[in-house]
Amino acid sequence: MGSPRLAIARRELGSLRKEKTIVLALAIQLFVAAFSSFLVVGLVSLYDPGAASYQVDVAVTGDEEAVEDLLRAVGTEDGLSGRPYSSTSAAMTAFQERQVDAVLEASTGEDGRIRVAAVAPDTGVETTAVVTRLRDALRELERNERAERSAFLSTTPLTLPPAAESSPYFGFTYTVLVPLLLFLPVFISGSLVVDSLTEEVARGTLELLRVAPVSFAAVVDGKLLAAGGLAPVQAIAWMLLLQLNGTAIESVPWLFGMVAGLSAVVVTLGAAVAITSPDRRVAQLLYSIGVLLVFAGTSLLPLSPANTAARLALGTAGVGAKVAVAGLVFVGVVALVGLRFVVDRVDPNELG
Amino acid sequence: MTDLRTRLVAHARTVLRIARWEVSRSAGTLDRRTAVIGLVAVLVAGGIAAGAAGGGVALDRDLYRVGIAGDSPYYDAVDQSSTLDPRPVSDPNVELVVSETHISVADTQTGRAAYSAFRDAVQSYNERQMAREENQSAAFPVVVDLQYRERAALVPTGSRVDGDSGGGGGGAGTGGGGADAGTGSGTTGGDTAGGSAADGPDASDAAAADDGGVDAPSLGGMASLFGGDTSGSPASISPPFPFASLVLAFAFLVPMNFVIQAYGSSVLNERINRRGELLLVAPISPGDIVAGKTLPYLLGTVAITVAIAAAVGGGVVSVAAVVPIGLLFLASTFVGAMFARSFKELTFVTVTVSVFLTTYTFVPAIFTNVTPIALISPLTLVVRDLAGESIPLGEFLFSVGPILLAAGVLFLLGVGVYREEDMFTQRPVPLKFLDALDSRISRARSVATLSALSIPFVFIAELLAIAVLFVLPVDLTVPMILLAVAVIEELAKSLHVLAAFEKARFSRTLRSSLVLGGLSGLGFFVGEKFTAIAQLAGLQSLTLGQTAFAPSGVGIADGTGVSALVVLGLFLAPLALHAVTASVTALGASRGRSAYGVALVGAIAIHLVYNLQVVNALG
Repeated sequence: MGSPRLAIARRELGSLRKEKTIVLALAIQLFVAAFSSFLVVGLVSLYDPGAASYQVDVAVTGDEEAVEDLLRAVGTEDGLSGRPYSSTSAAMTAFQERQVDAVLEASTGEDGRIRVAAVAPDTGVETTAVVTRLRDALRELERNERAERSAFLSTTPLTLPPAAESSPYFGFTYTVLVPLLLFLPVFISGSLVVDSLTEEVARGTLELLRVAPVSFAAVVDGKLLAAGGLAPVQAIAWMLLLQLNGTAIESVPWLFGMVAGLSAVVVTLGAAVAITSPDRRVAQLLYSIGVLLVFAGTSLLPLSPANTAARLALGTAGVGAKVAVAGLVFVGVVALVGLRFVVDRVDPNELG
Repeated sequence: MTDLRTRLVAHARTVLRIARWEVSRSAGTLDRRTAVIGLVAVLVAGGIAAGAAGGGVALDRDLYRVGIAGDSPYYDAVDQSSTLDPRPVSDPNVELVVSETHISVADTQTGRAAYSAFRDAVQSYNERQMAREENQSAAFPVVVDLQYRERAALVPTGSRVDGDSGGGGGGAGTGGGGADAGTGSGTTGGDTAGGSAADGPDASDAAAADDGGVDAPSLGGMASLFGGDTSGSPASISPPFPFASLVLAFAFLVPMNFVIQAYGSSVLNERINRRGELLLVAPISPGDIVAGKTLPYLLGTVAITVAIAAAVGGGVVSVAAVVPIGLLFLASTFVGAMFARSFKELTFVTVTVSVFLTTYTFVPAIFTNVTPIALISPLTLVVRDLAGESIPLGEFLFSVGPILLAAGVLFLLGVGVYREEDMFTQRPVPLKFLDALDSRISRARSVATLSALSIPFVFIAELLAIAVLFVLPVDLTVPMILLAVAVIEELAKSLHVLAAFEKARFSRTLRSSLVLGGLSGLGFFVGEKFTAIAQLAGLQSLTLGQTAFAPSGVGIADGTGVSALVVLGLFLAPLALHAVTASVTALGASRGRSAYGVALVGAIAIHLVYNLQVVNALG
């Protein structure tokens, strides 16, 4: 055991370092993470009324009684202030002259409902801030009106607890960013195994095994070790970086175990695919589909990897999540052992 | 004339022959067993994906634990929320405890997030309860009709309310669910609420809007799929968010990733064990070989694009907008495969290509309804095409032009190194890149041509920078965009000069440095004038667009109250700038690579100072 495998693993890592592909791999991951955070920071700040310190003035017009209710609801929203206008045309003029950012015209319908015609500016980013605030104010109005009509309702709506400040990025960081950073290296590792094996076949270098004192199994093991070992290390490095960045990551050892188990499964898949169809084009295609299957399939489980990772990192995972990690590690070991059986029965010179 | 025709026909024959050979060889590698396995796997994965989309895979399932008694009025709300996990009140490991009298929250970020998830859960629970009420007018006492109006000066209102919004592709064709709730104003064009047939505001929409949270920005009714006007209960209104473009981006781009994987493998295969040598010694030009090898993959991309477009209801415009993206995917993969030393390296190159191009087409398309910036991405054209809007030719060219040009230039570079000394040697990627640049330089004049050819890439890079920086506040982004522009343009003007010097194509003298620098600056200046296309798309109306393109002198002629002499000066100033900075970098390049680095920093500094001056002067 040991030395030839380690030597092959070292050689694999050496070639990654020499080609500087590992730098490119890290750059890609960084880019993907930055890109998704950019999307979220950008979008969430558009959609979160509290995120932008922006005062929205609303012209309120229409029926006297409804206007009063509307103004009260508008007044309860932060960053929103209402101004009564005597007529719709006056309000629209003010809107066109940019004295106000939105117009709400209220009227009472035949069935007793309040009908609100809302006009928001069609200017992009500003629109979003305006519309989100209007929505919150109108929901407040809806709650008040509903309370007045509670006699006609069979159930009373639950009292809504008061709003509180909370970072809109919080959930995203754990449910999307953390799983992304944990699983992207795993996917790349499997792809590396496919490349490494199919390249040996394409270059005909496995022929040398006939005279070399290493077995094909040792070669495969070495490659699996190099690629599969890389993923957990990268994943943990990302977690530490997140922690440095002020995002608390709990249960790091469990996350490590999870990535290790998953990468065992995925690199086994890669090796198995590369051995069964050693042409790179076909192998990479099958591998991609296989990984898709693994991730899509597990996402249907009650303890899907992404969800389990999020809860582990957040520190809200119960015993179930830890059992799932242990199970995953077990599946990984079984996969590796199974692969060993296959590899022992393969003649490397028959490939290709 | 006939001579030209016979030559063209001969070329076409060769290309077709190689294309046929490529197809038959690829088909040979795929045995029946693998094909069946692959097909089954695709079907299963597709089934799971469809099931997941239908059943709703909750990434945030049971994220927060809430201690709550089983008889609490809030219990159902917590239990029905996927994000919250109800626990007995005695459980100490919870973020939130809801008792009869008060709610206690753990004083951590997690606790606050849990509280806000709890508030959302109560809100959507109430909406669901109300939807079951007999008396819908009491349950939903407020009906909102939301319209978007432009506020341009002296333009009659309502110019945008034209009913386009609901009818487009996807599942948006349901129309009119909530329309019978009545609208106060006279415009009924866009008021399609959610797809429900219920005669009231659609509660499931309301719930969707609530549960969406951060993961999927609230979609509201289907009408807002294309960001149209909405009406319904207050919960159902949401800001315009072209969710469709997100889905479309992936529908069109995912198959391309598979195509380029196969294509890259095929190109690199030629380079392993000198397999491609036989082709090279045959009396065929490298251009024909590359065209023949690319043709099947290009046709495949076109076929897939047409199929997807037909499936989502897109027309000719959609296909015409997406195929150039596919061509750019192929072109960059081709160059990557020519540079890569191993399959491993190729994998990273393909991943980089697809990540970068996905970003480039994806980010701007999010802002389809927001700003002209969205036009950077051809996917915006697709979204608009699906929404039934017509697309002016100028906007189409603005969107597709740089991509097509970039693809062409990349193929040109790749074909340049499609020769024995580059294909069968192991050289680092940056050196191969310099080789490729150098292969296009035969005399001093080629430096100017290459500078001009770099414009599409400069344009793409600058547009991407604008798109990425666009969400930040203007004060912050203006200096950043100016710096980005300076870095991109200086690199574009100097890299090929460096390549030429490294290959000892020119003597390393002061005179040749100045000549090359001047020519590079001139070429860039001429090429840059083509960015005037930007005006067609109205990008100039945007502060950032002005910032990025003003220093190049585009659009200055519009300035009123500026004397002709100043206009001429401003028009020619960029030429002086480009010549000066390119000469600085050329001087550095003639003294080796480290000197080049120093000179590049200097040139960027000069460029930045100039840009700041111009922007301030015009500002």
